[in-house]
Amino acid sequence: MSEFASTYPPKVIVTKIGFDGHDRGSRLVAAFLRDAGMEVIYTPPWQEVATVVKLAIEEDAEVIGISSLATDHLLVPRLMTALRDAGVNDVQVIVGGIVPALDEKLLLDAGVARVFHPGTSLEDIAAEIRALSARARAMRSSELQ
Amino acid sequence: MAADAEWLKRIRAGDRRTIARAISAVENDAARAEVLREALAAHLGRAHVVGITGPAGAGKSTLVNALVGELLARGHKVAIVAVDPSSPFTGGAVLGDRIRMAEHQANERVFIRSLAARGHAGGVSRATAQVIDVLDAAGFDLILVETVGAGQSDVAIAKLARTRVVVYPPGLGDEVQALKAGVLEIADILVVNKADLPGAERTARDLLSMPARRGTEHKRLVLKTVSTTGDGVAKLADAIAAHKMQRVASA
Amino acid sequence: MNKPDEAQLFDSDVQQAERRWQQAYDATASSAQRSINRSGIEIKPLYTPHDRAREDFFDDVGFPGAYPNTRGIYASMHRGRSWTQRQLIGWGVPEDYNKRLKEILAHGGTALSLIPCNSVYRGYDADEVPPELLGTCGVVVNSIEDMDIALADVPLDRISCALNDPSPFTLLALLLAVAKRRNIPWQKITGTSNQSDYLSHCVANHMFFRLALPGARRVLTDHIQFANESLPGWNPLSVVGQHTQQAGATPAEAMGFTVAAALQYAEDCIARGMDPDRFLPRFTFFFDISISFFEEIAKFRAGRRLWARLARERLGAKDARSWRFKFHGQTSGVDLTRQQPLNNIARVTAQAMAGIFGGLQSLHTDGYDEAVSVPTAEAARIAIATQNILREEAQLTDVIDPLGGSYYVETLTDRMQEEIEAVIARIDAAGGMFKAVEDGLVQRMIGESALAHQSKIESGEQTVVGVNAYQIDEDPQKYRSQPYPDPAAIDAQCARLKAFKQNRSKPDAANALDDLARSAQGTSNVMASIVTAAEAGATHGEICAVLRRELGFGQPLAIV
Repeated sequence: MSEFASTYPPKVIVTKIGFDGHDRGSRLVAAFLRDAGMEVIYTPPWQEVATVVKLAIEEDAEVIGISSLATDHLLVPRLMTALRDAGVNDVQVIVGGIVPALDEKLLLDAGVARVFHPGTSLEDIAAEIRALSARARAMRSSELQ
Repeated sequence: MAADAEWLKRIRAGDRRTIARAISAVENDAARAEVLREALAAHLGRAHVVGITGPAGAGKSTLVNALVGELLARGHKVAIVAVDPSSPFTGGAVLGDRIRMAEHQANERVFIRSLAARGHAGGVSRATAQVIDVLDAAGFDLILVETVGAGQSDVAIAKLARTRVVVYPPGLGDEVQALKAGVLEIADILVVNKADLPGAERTARDLLSMPARRGTEHKRLVLKTVSTTGDGVAKLADAIAAHKMQRVASA
Repeated sequence: MNKPDEAQLFDSDVQQAERRWQQAYDATASSAQRSINRSGIEIKPLYTPHDRAREDFFDDVGFPGAYPNTRGIYASMHRGRSWTQRQLIGWGVPEDYNKRLKEILAHGGTALSLIPCNSVYRGYDADEVPPELLGTCGVVVNSIEDMDIALADVPLDRISCALNDPSPFTLLALLLAVAKRRNIPWQKITGTSNQSDYLSHCVANHMFFRLALPGARRVLTDHIQFANESLPGWNPLSVVGQHTQQAGATPAEAMGFTVAAALQYAEDCIARGMDPDRFLPRFTFFFDISISFFEEIAKFRAGRRLWARLARERLGAKDARSWRFKFHGQTSGVDLTRQQPLNNIARVTAQAMAGIFGGLQSLHTDGYDEAVSVPTAEAARIAIATQNILREEAQLTDVIDPLGGSYYVETLTDRMQEEIEAVIARIDAAGGMFKAVEDGLVQRMIGESALAHQSKIESGEQTVVGVNAYQIDEDPQKYRSQPYPDPAAIDAQCARLKAFKQNRSKPDAANALDDLARSAQGTSNVMASIVTAAEAGATHGEICAVLRRELGFGQPLAIV
C-alpha cells in the first residue's frame, strides 16, 4: 500500500531580499501557511537574489513569497530576470508589503503574479498561494519534464 | 520511460533542477518513485551517508555549517538533507534549517534540500532513503542527513546512515542516563558541542562511560567541538572519514 | 482625613456609592463585554478611590524629579522645557538631507536625527550595493565629506544630534571628524547614538549591521567607555523598546525586554570596572508609542519608576542623575494604515498625546503616509505641526503629569509594573538578556505575541478603521508617495565616493584600518580606533568590513 499522500502540500518559500530587516510580516505569513497545511522554506532577511534562485531550484518550490517593507521590492525585477536566466519559468512569485501603486505595475510587468498591500488578511494570502501552487503544478505536468 | 532515461542522465550529470524534481517525485508520487528507484539502482553506493541529530540547544546547525565548510575545503561535494517535523494537525511545516547554513548557500558543490517528516516514521524514512539515492546517483560523495530532536522518525532516519553522529550540549548530567534508548544507542560518534562552556568535560566523560549496546563491540567515540570557532571540527571530519573506512573494512 | 474613623466612614460611603453605581451600570451596559489591553490586563469600566486603598503616596506617586520619579524625571518637565521635537530625517544624498533638515528646523524642529540609507545600516558603502536601493529610505553617508555636506551650516556645538547609528558607530566617528575639521571641541558635541542597542537588533527589526553577539557586546562597552571619557555631552546608549514592540511584543513585554537589556549593559559596564554613577546618567531609552492610549502612559510611568528603583537598588547607583529614565518616543508606524491614510493624522495625534502624558523627553511623530513611503515634505510638515498644536493650542505642557493621581492611571501603572517585572524575572531566570537572546527565548515570546495580535485583527476582535471595519472604495494612486532619489544624483554620489577614495591619503586610511584590525584582535578600546580611522579618511564600509572580518558577522535566529 502506498504511503505517499495523493495530494501533497504546496511548497512555498517565504523570504526577504535587499536590506530591510523587519520580518514581523514574513514570520506571521510563514506560521499561517504552516497552519494552513503548507510546507514553507523560511529564511531570515537579506538574502541575495542568487541565493533565492538556488533555493527555488533545490527545494523545487512552487511559489516564492517576497516580503518587502522598505523599497527592497525594487530588487524584484532582478530576481525575475535571474529566475528566467536559470531556466526557472514555472515558479510563481508574489510580493507582500509596502509597494507604492506605481511600482505595483512595474512588478506585475516583470512577471510577479500578485502584489499584496498592508491590511491584507492572511487568509487571502494563503488562498492565493494555494491557487498559484496549483498553477505551477499544472505548468510542470504539461512540460516534458 | 524515455523521460526517465533523460532524467537519469541529467541527475548523473549533476543538473540541479532535475535532481530537485526527482527528489520531489520520490516525496510525492508513488508511481514515479518506483520507476526512479529502478532507474537509479545501478548507480548507487558511492556516497557516504552521515546521520546527524541531537537535542535542541546543542548548536547542531552551527556545527553542521562548520563541518560542511571543512568538508568543502577537503574537496568534497556535499549534500545536506534537513528533515523537520510536520504539524500533526495541519500537515504543514516550517523548514528553517537550511538558513543556518547561510555561509554555504551559494557554493556550487553544496546541495541542500529540506524535507518535512509528513506523518509517521515509516513514511519519512522511506522517502528519505530514496532522496539519499537520488543524491548518491548525482555524485555527492557525502550526504548529511540532519534531523532535529530524538523522536521516532529520527531513529528511523538514523538507521539509513552509515555513520551516525549525535550532538549534545554540555551539562546534561543525569539526563544522559535517560537517553539510553533511541538515537544514542545506535550512535557511532558522539559530539559534545559548545565545549568551551562548563560541564563539557563531564558530559563527555558521562557519554563515554555509558555501556555499549548489548551484544556488540560497538565502540563509541566521543569528541568535543566548539562550532562557533571551529575547534574540533577537523577532528570530527577525520572521525567520519575513518568510520567509513572502518565499516567498509568490516563489510 | 485626620481621624481613622472619618476615613473608615468615607470608605464605607464610597463602597456603598460604588455598589449603587455598579447596579446602575449593569442595568444599562453590556456587562458581558470585557476589555483587555494589549499587555493582557483587564480594564474595568470605572476606577475609584477604593482602587487606591493600598497606595503609598511617596513610594508610588510622589513628586516629579524626586525618587522614584513616577511623575517625571525632572522637577519642571515640559512646563519648564518642552519635549524636544526630534523628527527622523533621511533620504537621498547628503544635499537632500541638508535641505530637509533646514526645512524641519525652520518649521519648529529643535534637534536633528539622521537616518542613514539601509545600505549603511547593513555596513556597506554605496559602491558595494545595487544602485536602485540607494537613498530610498535614508541618506547615503559613507565618508567625512558626506557628513560635512549633510550637516552644512548646522551649528554642531548648539544643536543636539541623534544619529541612528548602530554598531560600530561609524556615523558618530564621522561626526567627530567633521567637528574636528570645524574646530569644534568634542566636549561641546551633544546628542545620542540612537538605537545603539545590539540586543534589540538581534531579536527584532534586524535592520542594522550586526556583528556576532560577543563582538557586538565588546564594541558597545568600548563605545560607552569612550563616550564617557571623551564626549561628556553624548549619550552612547539608547536602549530600544521600539523594535521589540513593533515586532509584536506587548507594551509590557517591550518595556520588560528594554529594562532587562539595560540591566545587561549596565552589568557589562560594571564588569569592565566602570562606575555606575558615571555611565548611567548617559543611558537613554527609545520607545514605540502605540495607539493603546492609557496603556502607553502607564507603561512609561511604570518603566520610569521601576528604572529608578533598579538603578539605585540593583545597580548601586547613588547619584540621582543615575536614576533618571530619559527616553525618546516615536509614534508607532505599525498602527498606521495604507487605507484612508489621512486617518493616520488622528492616530498619530493620539499616540503623541500618550507619549507626552507619559513624560517623554523627545518625540518623533510619523507622517500620515508612513504605510506608503518615506514621508513627503507635506506629511513631515503636518507631523511637526501636530506637536506644535498639542503644545501651544491644546496647552499640554501646562501641567506636569496631568493624569497623575487618576484612579485609573495610577492603578494601571501599578498593573503594568507587575507585568513588566514578570518579564524581567523571566529573563533573569534565563540568565540575563544576553543569554535569553542567544537562546531565542525573547524571539519566541515576541513571535507569540505577534501572532496573538494578528489573530485579533483577522477575527475582527480588534478593529482597525479602514482595514477590517469602515472600509471604503478608494484609489490608492490618489496619494502621492515620496519619489525615489534621482538616479543622476545617486550616480553623482557614487562618483563622489570614488573621488574621495582617490584623493585621500591612501596610506593614512590603510594604516588606520590596520590599527583598527589590531585593536579588534586585542583589548584596546575599539571605538577610539574607529574614530581615528574615520579621521584618517577610512569610509563606513571599510571600517565595517574590518570589524566583520575580525569579530564575526551575526546571523539572526529566525524562529517562526
